[in-house]
Order: sequence, then structure tokens, then C-alpha cells
Amino acid sequence: MDAKRNMAKGPQPREGEARRMEGLDLESVLVRARGHDAEAMGEIHHRYVRRVFGLCRHMLDSRESAEDATSEVFLKLQRNIESYDGSIPFPRWLLRVAGNQCIDFLRRRRRERQVMVEVEDGAAVIEATSSEPSALSTVIRSAEREQVQAAIARLPENYRVPLVLRYYSELSYDEIGQQLGLQRNHVAALIFRAKQELRRKLAQGSK
Amino acid sequence: MECYSEQICAIFVDDELPADEARLLRNHLASCQRCRDLVDALRAENRALSESLRELPEEAASPEALSRWRWSRTWGDLALLAAVLALGSIILVWFDELNIPEALEWFNPFSPNGLTNLLFNLSDYFARGDTAMLTDYAAVIGGLIFLSLLGGSALLLGRRWRLPKSGLGLLIVLLMLTLPSFALDRRHAEFVTVPASETVDDTLFAAGTTVRIEGVINGDLLAFGRTVEVRGTVKGDLVSFAKRTVVSGSVEGRIYNFSGSFDLNGQLAHSLYGFAQSLHVDERAHVGEGIVAAAGEVSLEGEVKRSVDMFFSGNADVSGSIGRDLTVSGASREGGLTLTSTARVGGNLSAHVRQLNHVHIADGATIAGKRDIQVQVRESQFTRPRFYFHQAIWFAAALLVGFLGLLLFPGFFQATTQAVGSGWLSLGLGLGVLAGVPVAMIVIGVTLVGLPISLMLLAVYLTAIYLAKVWVGAFLGRILLKPSGTTKGDWVLGLLVGLLILTIVGFIPYLGGLVRFGVVCLGLGAFAGQLYRASRPAITA
Repeated sequence: MDAKRNMAKGPQPREGEARRMEGLDLESVLVRARGHDAEAMGEIHHRYVRRVFGLCRHMLDSRESAEDATSEVFLKLQRNIESYDGSIPFPRWLLRVAGNQCIDFLRRRRRERQVMVEVEDGAAVIEATSSEPSALSTVIRSAEREQVQAAIARLPENYRVPLVLRYYSELSYDEIGQQLGLQRNHVAALIFRAKQELRRKLAQGSK
Repeated sequence: MECYSEQICAIFVDDELPADEARLLRNHLASCQRCRDLVDALRAENRALSESLRELPEEAASPEALSRWRWSRTWGDLALLAAVLALGSIILVWFDELNIPEALEWFNPFSPNGLTNLLFNLSDYFARGDTAMLTDYAAVIGGLIFLSLLGGSALLLGRRWRLPKSGLGLLIVLLMLTLPSFALDRRHAEFVTVPASETVDDTLFAAGTTVRIEGVINGDLLAFGRTVEVRGTVKGDLVSFAKRTVVSGSVEGRIYNFSGSFDLNGQLAHSLYGFAQSLHVDERAHVGEGIVAAAGEVSLEGEVKRSVDMFFSGNADVSGSIGRDLTVSGASREGGLTLTSTARVGGNLSAHVRQLNHVHIADGATIAGKRDIQVQVRESQFTRPRFYFHQAIWFAAALLVGFLGLLLFPGFFQATTQAVGSGWLSLGLGLGVLAGVPVAMIVIGVTLVGLPISLMLLAVYLTAIYLAKVWVGAFLGRILLKPSGTTKGDWVLGLLVGLLILTIVGFIPYLGGLVRFGVVCLGLGAFAGQLYRASRPAITA
């Protein structure tokens, strides 16, 4: 531990510069990052790596894949930071990029099969099978969040992905549809079914 | 009016219902308690869902947290020691197997054969007064010193180079290797070759000047030799002790390398751990996981999917791609870390170097994460207050012990102090006792009856080592002060001055260590001599 302390006392010009960045508002950091300023890129990584990793972790099935995808997102960001035009908030844009990365990853993994299982009749209105629709929230209020996380992780991919994009990335149905190549109605149906499936899993787990 | 379906309500709660439909639904809600409850429940559900998602699953609290994880020093040291013993036993088994000349049998003090032989020889020696056992005696000491040197250096290295989490894996695997190493397919020859047509289904233990694998090893490969070449496939792990190791084929497990130079041109499915003078990962090479290495010269041209943690003492050149973090620590005065324009790091770059200009990052190099370059300035222990506090306590304790010794056993204490004056004799005797007592303890301890005696001996031995500096200090003080009287006050003053000098001299680099060692030998010798003299009249009587 001594060595660590020693280092902290040594001159740290880079560290100092990083500190200066920390105080900057996002807009200025982005301006510098567009000019391929390495410090600014580092700062963006520092600010958003957890959010991006969180998304990847929920979308993909293993920590390793999530870490791979996170690295890939930030490497891509370095090359394509110019393509961010400022029309939507940066974090939202970045999560969209990350979502795409994860979807690409899932698609690559099952090359032959389309990642999203076609919804037979996405537009069909699915009536609730149970009269108490809020089983999910009841469980969440009483049980550990870990159970919910575990249940989400156990959802089939075609339910999990839209659910995470909606409630983690907070994308709209249209944006999710764009990313997954699906109709808006299909997205709505998938999210609805995902929640039903989640309630079922949680109800099973609590029995 | 008819109530809305749950799905429509869910879409409404998600703010995704077209404006006109949303208005109709809102109107309906004003009059329908059932739908209002449903919408409220769905809202709560969404909130709960968002909150649950925002928290990451336990194992992944933060991607950075784990890489910063350090295990405690004590456990690290213990694991290192265990690894050294494990490695030692592998090497010893190997020596056993090679039918090395008897003269080299001293390498193996722990083999059951060695110990029984030693016991027989000892009893023979006592019975006939033969000198033959002295050779065995020296042999065992040699073996012990060899192992403690190995252990000591590993400990020192471990403290300097803090093992990241993957080190734990290495140690555990090494430990596991020691046990099954007794049931392996063993091959010893000048040239051990597994031709392309051959498949070895077991773990292969190969020792020879040249070990060449062109075929397939379905288990692990443990290779010792001048040159170890893997051109074929090793399905398990590769453990290599060699002057030069080249892997151009594929290893589907991990590689543990202890070679002078290590070249990876082929495929490695998992991680590479190792020490090497020169470590080269060719551009054709692919490492499926990470690299943890300590090396003189490092050159990374290939692709590493995960993190690279390395300690280097010369130059480290990175021109390949690293999927995650690159963490380097350089101890060289010249040279340093170079990232060429083709280098690509998917995570953070952290470097600890002696000088800032030791890190060169070409313009084209890509680093996705943060660059954290820290200049390591070696701070002397003398600037820390804690150090003086410890020294003061140590000093006061030694003084107190000396004073108590003087008070309780004045005759013995003073005579021992004077015995230090016999110089070379004490030094030589002390050296002998220092090395001999542990051996005697092992020999006595092997028999169950002797174990308590052995433990008692250990206690006396450690106490004497501690007291050595007190006697030498007192002696030194007496020489310098040349007190006319011999009151207790004079003795304590002498002890104070002597201990002070010894303490200060002990901190001179290099010389200090030598002085401390000399002091232990001198004091121990004087103690042993005095003990002998004190017990002689009783025996002759």
C-alpha cells in the first residue's frame, strides 16, 4: 500500500489535467472530444462507463460479454464521436449506441437465426390472464431487488432486450423498434409480454 | 363505458399512446376506480422495474471495482510461500526422478528417504563418533537454505509486484499441480518429442534439453528444459520452466511460464502468466483472455482479448490490440512503455513509471478509456513518523529486555557480553548455531516424542536471536565507554549507546543488512559458547 501512497505524492501532471476536466460541463468535454482530445475521451469514459456497462450487463448474459461490449462501445465512440449531432442528449445517444452494440453482439452470436423471434400477432391485444396485474410490483415491494434482477436475467432474449432498452435506456417504442428492426406494435407487445413473464417468474420464485 | 385492457393501460403508462387515445383514456380514468387502480399499479411496477435495473447485479457492482481488488498482504504472502513450496516439490520430484548423482541429493531434504537416511546416519554418528554425517548435515542445510532463498525472493518479489487477482489463480493451480504430479506420464530424455502423429491422453511431464510437442496433449503439459517448443496442441495448461519457450501451436488452457525468453506466435485460449527476461507476443498470436507478467523486455504485437497487467524492467512495446485495461509498472531507469500507432486499448491505460518521459504514446494509438500515468517516486521509510515510532518501541523493548537480563541473571548476562569479545570464534560458532539449530529441530521433531523438545528448542533459538543484539550492543557500549565501575547503571548506559549505534548502522543500505546478520551470529555464538561453558562443570562433576 505504501507504493500507492508514494505515487500519490509524486508529480502527476496528467492526473492534474484529468481533475481539471472533471469540473468541465459535458458540452465542453464533448467539444474537445470531437477534436480527438484523448483527455476528453478519457473523461467521457470515466463518466459513462458504468451506465454503459449496466446496459450491456442487462442485455447480455455474461459479465465477460458485457465488458467486451463496453470496451467496443468506447472504442467505436473514439472513431465516431463526430456522428453525435447534439439533437438528443448525449447520454441517451450513447446508450443507443451501446444498445446497438449489444444487439449486434446477440445477432452475431446466433448468425443463422434472427435474434428477435417474430411475434405472431404483435398488434393483438393480449388480455391479462390474471385479475391482479400488479403482482410484479407487489413482489418488488416486498422482496429483494436482486430477485427481480435475477428474474430479468432469466427472461428470454426477445423479451429481455426490449424491456431493458425501455426501462434502463429509457428509449421510446419507436427507437427500440428502429434498433431491433421491428414494428412499434411488436415492441409494445414484447414489452407487455416481458412484464407478464417476469411476474410469472417472480410469483413462482416466491412460492 | 367499457374499461380499457391492461395492455392499453401499460402503453398509456409508458407514454406511448397516441395523444387522442390518451385523452379518451384519461377521461375514462376520472370516472373508473378500477382502471385508475390498474394504471397506478402499472406505474409503480415501472418505477420498481427501472430501479431494479439501475442497480447492477451483485457480481458486477462496477467494472472497475474488481480490477482494483487487492488481497491482503498476509494471504498473499502465505499463498506465495505455498506456491514456492509447491514449485519446490515439483522440482524436487523431478530431481528425484532423474537419478541425479548422490552428491546432489542434498537438493531434496524433504524426501522421506533423505530423512530416514539422515536419522540412521545420525544415530550411527553418535554411536561411533564418525564424521561421515557431517556431509549429510551440510547437505540438509544446503537444501534448507536453497528453499528459504527461493521463498524469500518470492516474498520480496511478491511485495514489490503486488499480485492482481489472477495471481491467486496461478497459485492455486500451482498448488494443485503438486499433487497429481506423482501420477503423470513422465518422459525424460535428451530430446523429448511428441510427433505430429501422436496424441497423449494424460498430463505430460517432460524434461529434457529440448522438449518439442508437435502432436496433441489432451491433459496439461509440464515442461522443463533448455528449449520448450509447442507446435502442436495442448488441450490443458502449459507450465514451462526453460531457457526458451516458443508456442507456435495452440494452448487451450492457460500458460504459466518461467522461462528466460518466451515467444507466443500461436493461439492461447485463456490467460498467460509468467516471468521472463523477454516476453514476445507475436502479431500472429491471439490470447483469449489476459496477460499477467513480470518481464525484462516486453513486446506485444498480437491480440489480447482482455486486460494486460505487467511489470517490466526494460522496454515494453505495445503495437497490438488489448481488449480491456493495460496496466503497467516499470522499474527501469531508461527505456519505458511505448504504444505505437497501431496499438489499441479497449479500456484504461494506467502506467506507473519512474519518469514521465518513459511513456511514449504514438498519435495513432487508440485508448478507449482514461490515461493515467503516474510517476513513482520512491519515498524513503525515514520520512514516515510511523517508522520512528516502531523503532522507538523496538529500542525501548530491547533496552528493557537487556536491563531485565542484567537484573535477573547478572553473571550469565555479563559473561555472555564479554564472550562477544572473542570475535571470530563467536561469529563462527554463531553461524553454525544459526544454521544448525533448525536442522536439529527438524531431526528431533520427526520423532513424535521429540516434538515438544523441538518446539522448546525453537523458542530458545528465537529468543537467543532476539537477545543477540542486546549482548552485542552491551559489548559495544562497554568498549566505547570503557566504564571504570561495573555498576548496573554503567551496564545499562553501555547497552543504550551500543544499541543506538547498532540500530543506526543497521539502516545503512547493504552494509546494514550485513551488520545485522553479523550481530545475530556474534550474539548467538557468544550465547552458545557461554551456555557450553556454564554447563561444562556440571557434566564433569
